[in-house]
Amino acid sequence: MKIAAWICLLLPLASALAITLAGTGISRRVAAYVSTLTTIGSFAAAAVAFVEMLGKHGGQRAGVTTSWTWLSAGPYHFGLSLLVDQLSIVMMLIVAGVGGLIVAYSVGYMDGENEERRYFAYISLFVFSMLLLVEGGNLLLLLAGWGMVGLSSYLLIGFHQDRPPAVAAAKKAFVMNAFGDATMALALFLLIAHTGHLDYASVFASSPTGGTVANLIALGLLGGALAKSAQIPLHTWLPDAMEGPTPVSALIHAATMVTAGVYLIVRTHPLFEFAPKVADLAAGLGAATLVMAGLIALVQTDIKRVIAYSTMSQIGYMFVGAAAGAYPNGMFHLMTHAFFKALLFLAAGIIIHALTGEQDIRRMGGLGKAMPHTRRAFLVGSLALVGIPPFAGFFSKDSIIAATLDRGAFGYCLFAACLAGAFLTGLYTFRLYFVVFGGEQSEFAKEHLHKPQGKLEGPLSMVWTVTALTGLSAVGGFLQFGRVWHPLTTWLDPVAQPFVDASNAKEAIASICAVVLGAAGIYLAHAVYAAKTIKVPKPVTLLEKKFYWDELYDALLYKPAELISQGLGRLVEQPLIAGSIGELTRGFRLGAGGLGRAQNGLVRSYALAVASGVAILAVVFLSTR
Amino acid sequence: MHGPDISWYVVLAALLFATGALGVMLRRNPLIILLSVEIMLNSANLLLIAFARLHGQADGQIFAISVMAVAASEVVVGLGLIVAMGRRHVELDVDKLRTLRG
Repeated sequence: MKIAAWICLLLPLASALAITLAGTGISRRVAAYVSTLTTIGSFAAAAVAFVEMLGKHGGQRAGVTTSWTWLSAGPYHFGLSLLVDQLSIVMMLIVAGVGGLIVAYSVGYMDGENEERRYFAYISLFVFSMLLLVEGGNLLLLLAGWGMVGLSSYLLIGFHQDRPPAVAAAKKAFVMNAFGDATMALALFLLIAHTGHLDYASVFASSPTGGTVANLIALGLLGGALAKSAQIPLHTWLPDAMEGPTPVSALIHAATMVTAGVYLIVRTHPLFEFAPKVADLAAGLGAATLVMAGLIALVQTDIKRVIAYSTMSQIGYMFVGAAAGAYPNGMFHLMTHAFFKALLFLAAGIIIHALTGEQDIRRMGGLGKAMPHTRRAFLVGSLALVGIPPFAGFFSKDSIIAATLDRGAFGYCLFAACLAGAFLTGLYTFRLYFVVFGGEQSEFAKEHLHKPQGKLEGPLSMVWTVTALTGLSAVGGFLQFGRVWHPLTTWLDPVAQPFVDASNAKEAIASICAVVLGAAGIYLAHAVYAAKTIKVPKPVTLLEKKFYWDELYDALLYKPAELISQGLGRLVEQPLIAGSIGELTRGFRLGAGGLGRAQNGLVRSYALAVASGVAILAVVFLSTR
Repeated sequence: MHGPDISWYVVLAALLFATGALGVMLRRNPLIILLSVEIMLNSANLLLIAFARLHGQADGQIFAISVMAVAASEVVVGLGLIVAMGRRHVELDVDKLRTLRG
């Protein structure tokens, strides 16, 4: 099991290194296949570890393997250790499994792109970093993986480095995430100061169980989770990150990396249980994000941005679940979301690919007839996202909504927000569906739609991965159903025991409300965008401006910084630094001119100078003796 | 210990050194300047040998031999330069040779 875990971790790294070092020595196709096969190999290794774990009894399933002491400073020693337990194996399977499918999809999607090799090296690096994040045996390795996924996300968002918006989006994502990394590092400093360890077990055993310190630690970790998972107030980078290639959006900005925040909360849940107020804050922010993102998604016109806001919204659900104490439900939704959101992105990728890069849904329309397979895949993904039974989202989302009912008065607020989110999800998802696939084919589509030869709607690698994800989105939810059938909860129980347990009645209420509201959203979307019985309302400026978050940060941080630096430039740099350098050079020039005159070329005067100098020295020495 | 007192040697060396130094500073012919430099070197040699004898140690004498070797090489280079100057009909006057002034 340990060997399998190491192989799972190191295969993608080996692939990234090999592709980088081989450079132009290998063809683009070879780089693509190396990357795909290593990621699938990782998945195989994770599966082997999983099967081995299944054969053991509950208590012996978790295992820490330390290869060597990675860092040692004074009394603190941090091992390069991997922790393979019930939680991390689930994440490993999701990351390597969905990752393998998406990398395979990239083979077709990135075909013909310049610098394809660089893309595959980056994406392998990402898979490695993400696996390091979930497998790391202590918080320090988790932080290392945390930072490295940020780096690979930056590299991949800015993959089209000649496109200024992509570069700006990459920088924005990096800065926002660096803020989260910093708060997380502060939390780790506090943990080291108060417990002397960063291993999960010892930290949970000796961490302060209340008071300011516990709150600060949880807040720091929450800051990291909010930044990585694009939740209010650190969410503004995710929609811009859609500048990256579509498979990147699917893998990093939907299925895996952005859900790392949820993983972090579940992984360090005792620290959040010591600080219940911070946990409530996390749940509140998640609820606020899920409603806000749902509202913004209603007016977006870029197909990928709609899905990106939907991602933010769904991660909001996971935050609500994880922070409210329903850890397995949060993880379950993380898993099903990875399936159906990757599916939606990849299906959108097929459309974008077929329309030669067009992403504006106003120019699409009527694609359903031309691309029936993609339409079906998108429909399954949308139904799963809205939570219509029997698709995956129904099981996972409704269990989170039910769990909020078990949390008292605050829980009812969360419940209301979740239901509002369910309605919005139905509305924006099917707005997208009807606008893109329904109605008559648009002029733009008629002109630009190009289908590859043969029966397929895209390259083979893209079609089969989408088909596989369609299957997963359709049946992935059957892993768990309320209290009737809950293997995932049982499986995760030793690592993250939930402290909410919704009764059957609550499950039923939540499910009925969510499904009815989701269906109402779909019906409304149908009435407005397909049947056109209701006029399309004018978009609200507040929503089009995305609640003015960008403007707020601009006014709050960027403008003052710009003013201060301009002021410093005018008042300090120009007169003091630039001026003083000018004066210094003038002084040196003058002094050098004066001294230069002493160099008169007369050897005898030099000899006189030497002799008189020695004479003066001799007199000085003799007189001071 | 035979022979004159150490102070005699010191005084003689000082006189020789002063002679050499004055020669370097006053004369303008490079040949004479080179000769004066040799006189200064030899005054130093004289002191080295005198003190070596006073202390009964050979170190100073070894130094003196090294100095002679260096002086000989230096003279070779210096004389070579002066001869080259003479053959190119450059006036042998150090005050005229001042192209290196700043």
